[in-house]
Amino acid sequence: MLVKMNTHLQGAEFLKAKTPGLAEPAGSKALGESAERSAKNNQAVVDQIRDWQEWREAAHRVKRHAVANLDKLLVEFERNISARGVTVLWAKDAEEANRLVIGIAKEHNVKSVVKSKTMVSEEMELNHALADEGIRAIETDLGEYLVQLAGQRPTHIVTPAMHLSAEDCGKLFAEKLGEPFTAEHRALTDIARRHLREEYLQAGMGISGVNFALADTGAIAVVENEGNAGLSTSAPPVHVALMGIEKVIPSIDYLPVFWNLLGRAATGQKLTTYTHLIHGPTPGRKLYVIILDNGRTNLIADPHTRNALGCIRCGACLNNCPVYRRVGGWAYGWVYPGPIGAIITPMLVGLDPAGKLPFASSLCGACAEVCPVKVDIAHELVHLRHRAVNEPSPARSIWERLMWKGWAFAMAGPVRYRLTMLGVRIGVRVAKFLPWHPLQLGAWTRGRELPKVPGPAFRQLWKEKR
Amino acid sequence: MNSRDTVLGRIRNALADRPVEELPPVPEVWPETNPDAETMAARFAQELDAVQGELHRCRSMDDARAKLRGLMKEFGASAIGAIDGPVAREVTEGLNGVAWVAGDWDPNRIGQLPLGLVAADYLLADTGTCVVANGTSQERLMCYLPPACIVIAKTDRLREHLPAAWKEIGPRAADPALCGEFVFITGPSRTADIEKILILGVHGPKRLIVLLVG
Ligand code: SF4
Repeated sequence: MLVKMNTHLQGAEFLKAKTPGLAEPAGSKALGESAERSAKNNQAVVDQIRDWQEWREAAHRVKRHAVANLDKLLVEFERNISARGVTVLWAKDAEEANRLVIGIAKEHNVKSVVKSKTMVSEEMELNHALADEGIRAIETDLGEYLVQLAGQRPTHIVTPAMHLSAEDCGKLFAEKLGEPFTAEHRALTDIARRHLREEYLQAGMGISGVNFALADTGAIAVVENEGNAGLSTSAPPVHVALMGIEKVIPSIDYLPVFWNLLGRAATGQKLTTYTHLIHGPTPGRKLYVIILDNGRTNLIADPHTRNALGCIRCGACLNNCPVYRRVGGWAYGWVYPGPIGAIITPMLVGLDPAGKLPFASSLCGACAEVCPVKVDIAHELVHLRHRAVNEPSPARSIWERLMWKGWAFAMAGPVRYRLTMLGVRIGVRVAKFLPWHPLQLGAWTRGRELPKVPGPAFRQLWKEKR
Repeated sequence: MNSRDTVLGRIRNALADRPVEELPPVPEVWPETNPDAETMAARFAQELDAVQGELHRCRSMDDARAKLRGLMKEFGASAIGAIDGPVAREVTEGLNGVAWVAGDWDPNRIGQLPLGLVAADYLLADTGTCVVANGTSQERLMCYLPPACIVIAKTDRLREHLPAAWKEIGPRAADPALCGEFVFITGPSRTADIEKILILGVHGPKRLIVLLVG
């Protein structure tokens, strides 16, 4: 039951697309520096709490409990929030979720939609699906708005336009909105404010994500900084909230724990500016909650990846990842980048197209160390590497398999090893003089220099020193 | 089979091993020290300042009314929108230009108000947070649409921190008749989406002004 590969996954092979800004190299450098700065700033706020580890542990255990009892909690959530006049709908996959949203839009005669940030809708490619039905969808989170105007995809789950400079944004507004060019942050923000204000007031429907769904009281929590989620969910007459099945937690009692962890880990705030705890539609309004699987049950089915469902999408593992900082978000080929993306993506879209992602990690473990809900990212990545290697996959070429076979053979005895290394040393020297290289090696050397053969081997040095 | 049953069925299959995971107790990492109102007010002031909110300490409702007049002048506002309630009634008594935002107001009309006045249910000292219970969409919009949001509360609304307020919010949230939202506002609307530079007032209010009375 794998998700249909989305159109933007067609370059799903890792590292095919490096994140550029509008101007390339500066873009990815800016992203790396930004991520690093976020990592430092947020850590400073985390360090203020003595009991951070205790909070993490509690959140981790609540999430484990929630996944282990997911069916019961979802049913309880559905029952309690329905009693408040909310319509709860279920979707097996992205396509069905899109159909549900479109159905609601048509029922209420909606022409335009305002969206606050929801990663689930990125999974669904909801904006395209709506556009196909002639419904305009406008992203209202400033970063998402910029990315949408640029016709790009987010590079980060918390700050989607991390790769764009102020100058890029100014050019974008000039080109797409006809605004006079500016690279001044206040002025840029005011331009977005002015344009989006009209959108809130005329939209027939607002779409939001869900950060936490509470089973015991029947409520949803939405966390944001800009006020766009507040406006998107209160100005239009209809609010549709999209949630993955994993968002449910057993009780409202734990919410302060999660809010405190999320604000600090995501943006270095004690509490995010606007934290909405929504209990049901206000009089005269409609509220729908759509609960989506879209491959998440694949993550549950494997006990080794189950805990990744505890992820609260704070982005800390991205900010702290040396690989993410270098390659940016697009390189991960789908909606969820960084270390957590390398777990979620293969499980949601399949190991076949995305089986390389778990290898895109140095396994340094920085991600797991900062994760506020203690997802054991590095271990899950290693596990997925095993699966990617052991499960027959047409994506892995015969050459790759042969190479590993050969490697295993060569490593199995000292004589074989010495002979192989000798062969490699000679081979590399010879290959340096060849104008082109065959097969995989050729693909590799097209953009790179063959490395120099280093000086005497360790074994030799060891012999001499002794 | 409908999608609900399909999704629940998939979950049950995936959990065939039915792991047992005990639910941990709610961590008591923020001990309650029950500080007096003055200590909490000082802490609130400090934390609100840290998130770029503005605090006016008012000795009495008359004092708060004078502050409100001053703010209207500062904003060049001849009108101020307000959500009806005992505290808002008290503070605006005899004040000219008060527009009571009712349930039949169109969002556009709220969008034209230069100033909005709402009353907070709780103020959280530890984080500088205003907790507002909004039962209608008009009440909700009053927190987000006017360019400046004025929040009023008496000092008896101060709570030490989020878990302390939770003791009261939890039972209220359990009431099945409750609709709308609790919003926890910690400073004015903000973004750092462009080059991580902090800018206040993206979509919501550019200024958050708290009148703390008593
Ligand atoms: S895996 Fe952990 S650190 Fe990474 S986004 Fe999710 S919650 Fe944050």
